[in-house]
Amino acid sequence: MSDPINANPTVLDVSQLPTRGETLGKASKSNAEETEESLIYSNLFNFSLLSTVADKSHYNDYNDLLLPELTDDDLSSLSSADDVEETEQRSVSHLEAIDPQEIYDLIATICDPEHPLTLGQLGVVNLADIKVTDPTDKTQIAEVLIRITPTITHCSLATLIGLGIRVRLDRCLPQRFRIVILLKEGSHQSENQVNKQLNDKERVSAACENEQLLKVISHMFSTCQ
Amino acid sequence: MALQLQHTFTGHTDKCWSISVHKTLPLLASVSSDKTCRIYNTNTRKLVSILDENTHTKTMRSVAFKPTGDFPSLAIGSFDSTISIWGKDSDDFTDEESMNNTNNNNEWMLLAILEGHENEVKCVDWSFDGTYLASCSRDKSIWIWETDETNEEFECINVIQEHDQDVKYVDWHPARNVLSSCSYDDTCRVYKQDEYDEDDWTCVCNLTGAQGTVWCSDFEDGDGQSSLRLVNCSDDSKVRVWKKLTGKDNENGALPSTLKDEEEWELDSLLPSVHESSVYGVAWSSNGLIASCGSDGKIAVYKEQAKLNSYSNKQESEWVVLATVSLAHGVYEINCVKWGADNQLFTAGDDGNVKLWKLDI
Repeated sequence: MSDPINANPTVLDVSQLPTRGETLGKASKSNAEETEESLIYSNLFNFSLLSTVADKSHYNDYNDLLLPELTDDDLSSLSSADDVEETEQRSVSHLEAIDPQEIYDLIATICDPEHPLTLGQLGVVNLADIKVTDPTDKTQIAEVLIRITPTITHCSLATLIGLGIRVRLDRCLPQRFRIVILLKEGSHQSENQVNKQLNDKERVSAACENEQLLKVISHMFSTCQ
Repeated sequence: MALQLQHTFTGHTDKCWSISVHKTLPLLASVSSDKTCRIYNTNTRKLVSILDENTHTKTMRSVAFKPTGDFPSLAIGSFDSTISIWGKDSDDFTDEESMNNTNNNNEWMLLAILEGHENEVKCVDWSFDGTYLASCSRDKSIWIWETDETNEEFECINVIQEHDQDVKYVDWHPARNVLSSCSYDDTCRVYKQDEYDEDDWTCVCNLTGAQGTVWCSDFEDGDGQSSLRLVNCSDDSKVRVWKKLTGKDNENGALPSTLKDEEEWELDSLLPSVHESSVYGVAWSSNGLIASCGSDGKIAVYKEQAKLNSYSNKQESEWVVLATVSLAHGVYEINCVKWGADNQLFTAGDDGNVKLWKLDI
């Protein structure tokens, strides 16, 4: 890459970033819950695109990548409505709601396209700017609203960063989630334009079939464990 | 009054974007990000054929049956920027049994590939008499292709560039050479064929007011002479009915529309709010009902009824909600809605399914 657009960004130390440890350390959890959670996290660690890219011989194209779901909810299996309902009902009992920290952990580790730093370190993604509306009834539609703060107000990579976040969440979150990604108010000079593009389903789908773009995005995911 | 689920057509392995119901034959076509087009017999509900053969390298976004011809044919628009035209072999069509044969894929033949758009084709639609095919793309243009009965020759006779952004949807009037288009630039436009130069198309009005991308539009059935209306839907979760003003409505003494290119259109009705987010599809049935669907997973059906205005003492009309279905495709978004015969409704969702609903009245 030639001249960086923002050559001197403010960088947060990794130890300053919010982690599950802070919030969960205090709360005592039952063994069952811990097992459940470690299961989810071990699943999460498999999401890195890097490993699949290295293992590319198995895949003719990126669209064939099938990533595991964040929860054991079976909606992705495109079964008929009745099947879905049954599966849902069975799994509801031991499902936990998805919280902002979980979303943060998924996206804060994404690498910035021009700096060797993560979106968390650059303060592009902040825990306080993630809102999750997840009804207890998992057959209902849920929503994740993320406001991102580009490092500079004319950052031409804001769309790419937003797209990276959307692709990551699309692949990891259960299908019931609608993902809304907005630039934080006043953080960008073409705020409305970028917001519209990031939330246009058709444009995002088409972008995800662009090999060049997918290569850049999978590079951004290389820092996700 | 309710929408009853009658059947679910499964098989697509990715988002189903668009469906088309044949005007006279019992055929349904659906296209998907899985790069296939599935054709079903709506009477037997059996799969008739799958069109893929690696024709398109990216998502099949839009499908439209040609309304005319001795044998069925259709057009598919793809994100790979091309359009493919498919038709059934004329000799085979006499064999009714073959319609139900799921293994015989060779019946549908690839007749033509239309190239020209710079990037993703978002929608294709045939004019009422099958003479023209309209296509639109992220390249901001609408192409009008002229064709013949054999579907082998397609000539682009006009490129319309009125929109400032992606053109999301094109829709022909069911009985006239009038076209409408919807765009990412938040507008919906109407075009008329020039009376002297048949190859020329003029934008006669620009319907503004939507607070966001306009996703879809559909003309009201009719001869389009006495009354011309269309319904459209947009990202702002609204469904709007627009009406062309006739000389009678036009009381402000403006020039009659025949003397100039512009037509006067006005917002006829804002339909009752049902949707909570983007409305992706809207359809006006031949018996006057409107259906809409969107990212909130809802389907709604509206009916127009007469109402007496107590102030002016005039007969007016208002739209009421006849039926709604929530989570109609589970938690998935619904991309497209189309009417079939006898109050049948088809919807296509991100779950890859096409559902057949029946409106019980």
